[in-house]
Amino acid sequence: MHVRWLIPLGTGAAAVAQVAYAAQYMTIAQAQRAAFPAATSFDPVQPTFDAATLTELAAPAGWSPRVWQARSGDQRLGWVLEDRVIGKSELITYALALDPAGAVLSLEVLDYRESHGGEIRLPAWRRQFVGKTAHDPVALNRDIKTISGATLSCRHITEGVQRLLQVYERALRHAAG
Amino acid sequence: MRRTRLTLATAALYTMLSPAVHADEATLQAEVDALHAEVAALKDEVRQIHAARTQAVSTVANRAAAAASNAGSAPPAAAIAESSGTSLWGYGQIDYNRPTAHAADAQADLSRAVIGFNHAFDESTRVYGELEWEHAVTSATDQGEAEVEQLYVEHALGSNYGVRAGLMLVPLGLLNEHHEPTQFYGVERNFVETAIIPSTWREGGVAGYGSTDSGLSWNIGIGTGPDLSKWNPASADGRESPLGSIHQELQLAKAHDPSVYGAANWQGIPGFTVGGGIFTGKIGQGTPEFSANNARLVLGEAHLRWQPGPFDFAVLYTRGTISDTQALNASFLSQPTPVPKSFWGGYAQGAWRALEWNQSSLAPFLRYEMFNTGAAYAAQPQGLGMPPRPTERVWTVGTNYYLNPNVVFKLDYQNFNRDDLALGYGDRFDLGIGYQF
Repeated sequence: MHVRWLIPLGTGAAAVAQVAYAAQYMTIAQAQRAAFPAATSFDPVQPTFDAATLTELAAPAGWSPRVWQARSGDQRLGWVLEDRVIGKSELITYALALDPAGAVLSLEVLDYRESHGGEIRLPAWRRQFVGKTAHDPVALNRDIKTISGATLSCRHITEGVQRLLQVYERALRHAAG
Repeated sequence: MRRTRLTLATAALYTMLSPAVHADEATLQAEVDALHAEVAALKDEVRQIHAARTQAVSTVANRAAAAASNAGSAPPAAAIAESSGTSLWGYGQIDYNRPTAHAADAQADLSRAVIGFNHAFDESTRVYGELEWEHAVTSATDQGEAEVEQLYVEHALGSNYGVRAGLMLVPLGLLNEHHEPTQFYGVERNFVETAIIPSTWREGGVAGYGSTDSGLSWNIGIGTGPDLSKWNPASADGRESPLGSIHQELQLAKAHDPSVYGAANWQGIPGFTVGGGIFTGKIGQGTPEFSANNARLVLGEAHLRWQPGPFDFAVLYTRGTISDTQALNASFLSQPTPVPKSFWGGYAQGAWRALEWNQSSLAPFLRYEMFNTGAAYAAQPQGLGMPPRPTERVWTVGTNYYLNPNVVFKLDYQNFNRDDLALGYGDRFDLGIGYQF
């Protein structure tokens, strides 16, 4: 991955400025509204995982997806999960909406920062994930077809979705409320 | 008295207007409620944005701290990418070729070591570069090359279109823009996209790019082109790759004649790509005393790639022409390499990701290529012209073994219908290592 001597450099720069080239296609609030137009609130949830689970999920260092429960009054409409994965060398921010049973309702690419490979935001590609649950195989090249020229972005988003489906399975499925 | 009268009038007016006032109050209340809801939604949005920023900062700090405390773990790439706006990437390739009939020509080569960078100046402007070393050592007495393969500034004008300026890859074919060793099958890049489309082909200029939600992406540009005055009729280079022998790579490039190009791809069905492109320009570059200043290059290309499940099929066809070369070639008579009037190539390839386990996979493949770097030459006086070159046909069979998606070991065997030692054509075994990050 990236050259290690850049870490202190990068950390130092973090204090100064947060500059990142990004094509923003949607904010998380817009993604929430698009997935659950009838929701009256999106309540943040903070799932926690022990080290063994993180290892099992092959979670990258510092992995911390954000989760909201979409509600309409007392009724749970589903979940919105936001996560980031590395495409080729830059972060891709995306949001996954799940119904109350944990099946994918939609996948939205929020921010894309690479110079190439932006084809992953094609609706036809993202629609492949709709209906998938933690119990479905979600394997690239088999269940999810790849996009020529955007192989790494496709792979890493697919792996990210696999992890988020496990977030539902392990932390949200039995959540109260 | 006057005040009493005024009070009475006011009371009467109020009594008359009170239904209307009640109605207005109801409307007002509804509006206030709507505003309350809107403010609540905005507050929610602001809170989320704030939380995102806070989390981003703390994530960066956490990742950096985690990296500092655990030097054995993977570096926190995300932290670097986000915090400094600069990221590094790269790839490399080491090859071993062993001709079966000429084992003395067996060769091992660190063919490429590449460092790329991407620096964001702000949310819509970045510089993107690729620096490459070929053949391990570069010096006055060695054969290696050090080169800048890409260096351009990209400015996004919208979320899905923008402009680039600088040294850019020409967007023709499947390989030229995606030439990392993990992206193609076989140790060496295919012949069609090296001999006919001279990968890695880049030109200096400006370009516009964009894409639509229906899956159409496009790229058009104007800039430098090849320099025909560099043609060496005594060398085999022009037979190996006509355009590869006269490309300029923005090295003090002659820029009298601009070239233009356009390319489009449609990827509206997942796993399916169909596209093509064209590049054209005069390539004499206004060279004084040069007999082919009107020579025009036209190179067209079309491709299709289909990746159903574990399979990966690709076909590509490309053809180029160079006009007005008769007088130039007349000055090259008796030399082995005149300028071709036309050259072409095509291939069909099938690969199968036969085995997958954990992050590893094994993908055997088969490719058949036909190409001709001198399919026709401009007519010359009787008996002096150059006959067309024979068409080269190459079968390549082999396998890519991906240790993980970014590290590949390759093995293949290539069968040529016709040996040509000067061009390196001859049956051979190849072994390769490639990576990208």
